[in-house]
Amino acid sequence: MALRLASDSMEAGPETSFAESVCLPFLRSAQNTDGGWGFHPGSQSRAEATCWALQALIDSARPETPESVARGFQFLRAAQLPDGSWPSTPEEKVGCWVTSLVCWVLLVDKDSSKAVAAGLNWLCQDWPQDSTPWRRLLARLSSQPHVAPMNNSLRGWGWTPRTSSWVEPTSFALLALGQCRRDLLPPAAVQRRQLAEGLLYDRMCPGGGWNCGNPRVYGVAGEPLVVPTAWALLALRDHPKRPENVLSLTWLENSVANIHGAGSLALARICLETYGHVWPTGAPELRDFHRKNEFLQSIQVAAWACLASSARRHWLAAAAGGSS
Amino acid sequence: MVGGGSWRVVLVMRDRALIPSFQRPPSRVVIRRAANYEQDLASLIYESLREFSLPIKDKTVLLKPNLVGLDPLGVMNTHPAVIAATRECFLHLGASQVFIGDGPAMDRDTEAIIESVRLREYTGPLAHRFVDLNVDDVERVPLKTHASRLKELYLPKTVLGVDFLVSMPKLKTHHWAGVTLSLKNMFGIVPGSCYGWPKNVLHWAGIDRAILDINAAARPDFAIVDGIVGMEGNGPIQGTPKSCGVLVFGSDPVAVDATCCRVMGLIPERVKYLSGAGTLLGHLKADKIQQLGESIASVRTPFAVLETFRGIAG
Repeated sequence: MALRLASDSMEAGPETSFAESVCLPFLRSAQNTDGGWGFHPGSQSRAEATCWALQALIDSARPETPESVARGFQFLRAAQLPDGSWPSTPEEKVGCWVTSLVCWVLLVDKDSSKAVAAGLNWLCQDWPQDSTPWRRLLARLSSQPHVAPMNNSLRGWGWTPRTSSWVEPTSFALLALGQCRRDLLPPAAVQRRQLAEGLLYDRMCPGGGWNCGNPRVYGVAGEPLVVPTAWALLALRDHPKRPENVLSLTWLENSVANIHGAGSLALARICLETYGHVWPTGAPELRDFHRKNEFLQSIQVAAWACLASSARRHWLAAAAGGSS
Repeated sequence: MVGGGSWRVVLVMRDRALIPSFQRPPSRVVIRRAANYEQDLASLIYESLREFSLPIKDKTVLLKPNLVGLDPLGVMNTHPAVIAATRECFLHLGASQVFIGDGPAMDRDTEAIIESVRLREYTGPLAHRFVDLNVDDVERVPLKTHASRLKELYLPKTVLGVDFLVSMPKLKTHHWAGVTLSLKNMFGIVPGSCYGWPKNVLHWAGIDRAILDINAAARPDFAIVDGIVGMEGNGPIQGTPKSCGVLVFGSDPVAVDATCCRVMGLIPERVKYLSGAGTLLGHLKADKIQQLGESIASVRTPFAVLETFRGIAG
C-alpha cells in the first residue's frame, strides 16, 4: 500500500457511535434467511448488497458477526455461475460487474479461494467490445468521431459483458485485482490493470474528478460526481502524487460541503481519509442525513456509512502477498 | 413486419399496450398554460386529470418523474412542485397510495439528486414514499416486441406491481434521441443495479429501439409533461433552459409526446422512436389526437436542437 491506513486506535466520535448504534444493527437485522442481503430490508438477496453488508460487518470486527459473515459468504459462493462470474440478480444467468465486488469481499475467506480465482479469471477474459480493433476503425471512420473524444486503445470494464468501459466497474475490478494474493491472479491481470489505470486517467473530467465515464460530450466538459470520483481515486491510490490524483482530490475536498446524499458523503470520507486527508471540521454529518430520509432504507448506504465511520479500513488493504 | 425501416416488430394482439393505430380509438391530450412553479398547480392538474375520468379509486399509483442529475437550479429534472401537486391530486381522486420512483441513469446516489431538487420540501418525508427504481426488487420480463436485440429485461417489481403508472418527464431535447418526453423517460425504470450507470446495454441495443421495447413491456397509463421550463439544445443535462409555460396531459403517451413535439416546433414523425411507437403504442398523427385546453399554435415555442437533429425541426 502506498498510503497509510488510518490507525485502529482513532478516537471514536459521534459518527462512529451513530454507525454502531444505528447502521450496524440495521444491517444485522436485514440479513435474509438465505444468508444474503437485499438492497432494502425484506427485499430479495442480491450479490451487490450482500457484498457491501459483508464488508461493513467484517470491518466492524464485532464478536457476534462471524456466523452472520459465514452465512453471507455461503450465499455468495452459491450464487456463482459455472463460468466463474456472478450475476446481478439470482435469476439472471449472465455474469456482470458485481463479480469484482464478490471477489473483493471473498478475498478474506480461505474457503473461497477457488471461487475467487475463477471470478478473477472471468474478469480478465471479459473485454469491452467498444474498443476492439474493428470498433476503433469504425469510430475513426464515423461521421461523428469527436462526439465524445477518448482514447479507445485503453480498456477497462463495463457494467455488463461485451459492452463499453465505464469508471465504476473499472475501479471495482482494479480494487479486486489490486488486493488479492498473487497466486490467485490470472496471467492477464498485469496487462489488464495497466490498461484500466490508463483508461481511468483518460476518462478524468478536465477539472479533476470523474463522472460515469464521459469527460467531454459535444465539446462540453462533463461534470464530475462524488461516487465515481471516490471509487476511481481509491482504485488509483497507489499513485497519490500523480497530478490527476491531486487535482481530483482537491475537487473532492472542495465538494464535501455541497454533498446532498449520504452515500456520496460516506464515500468521500472513506476516500479522503484513505489518502491521509483530515475530514473537514463542519462537514455534513451522516446522522443528519439519516434524520432526513433514513438513507431511503438502503442497505448499501448503511454499509458505506459504517465503513466511513470506522478507523480500520482493512477492507482497502492488500492481502498478505497481495499485488498492490 | 410492421413499422418503418428494418424494425422487426412482432405483433402480440392480445396485449392491451400493443394495438395497431387503425384499431385504436382517437386519443385526447390536454394542454394547460402554467406560467411558473409558484402558482396553484394542484388545482390546474386536478381539473386536467378530471377530463380523463381516470379509474384510480383505491388503486396504487406510481409517479415516475425524470430525475437525471444534481440540479440545484431546477432546470433538468421534473420540477418537485409538479410532482408534489400531482401526488396530491391522485390522492384526492381516491388513489390508495401514491409512490414516487425513478432510477437515475448517470449517478447512483439517488438521494443526492432528490435532495438537490428539494423534493422532500415539497412532498414531505420520502423514506417510505420514494422508490429508488435502480435498487428495487426485480422480475424477469420477456419482451413482447423485438424492436431491439434485447430478449428480456429485469424490471422493478414496483413498476410492474402498481395499478397505475404515470410518466412525468420534463420537456427536453436529447443529444442521442432527439427529444426526451414520456416514452424516453421510461428508460429510468430500467434498474442500474442490473444494467449499470449509465444503462449502457440499452445504448448497445439501440436507444430508439430500446425505448419501444421498454414501453411495450411497461406502457405508462398516463403522462404529464412538465413544460413550464424545458430544455433545448444539448439536453438532457447540458442544454439551455427554455421557458415554454405549459403542462401537457394524456392517457396515450405517444399522443402526448407527439403533441409536445409540435409545441416544441419539431416534427414527431421524424423522431425515430416516436415514428415506431406510432405503429403500435399510440397515436402519432394529428388527426387521431383530440386537443383539449390550449391549442398547439397558441403555445408553440420552437426549441433549438443539435445539428445532428436538424432534420426533426419543423
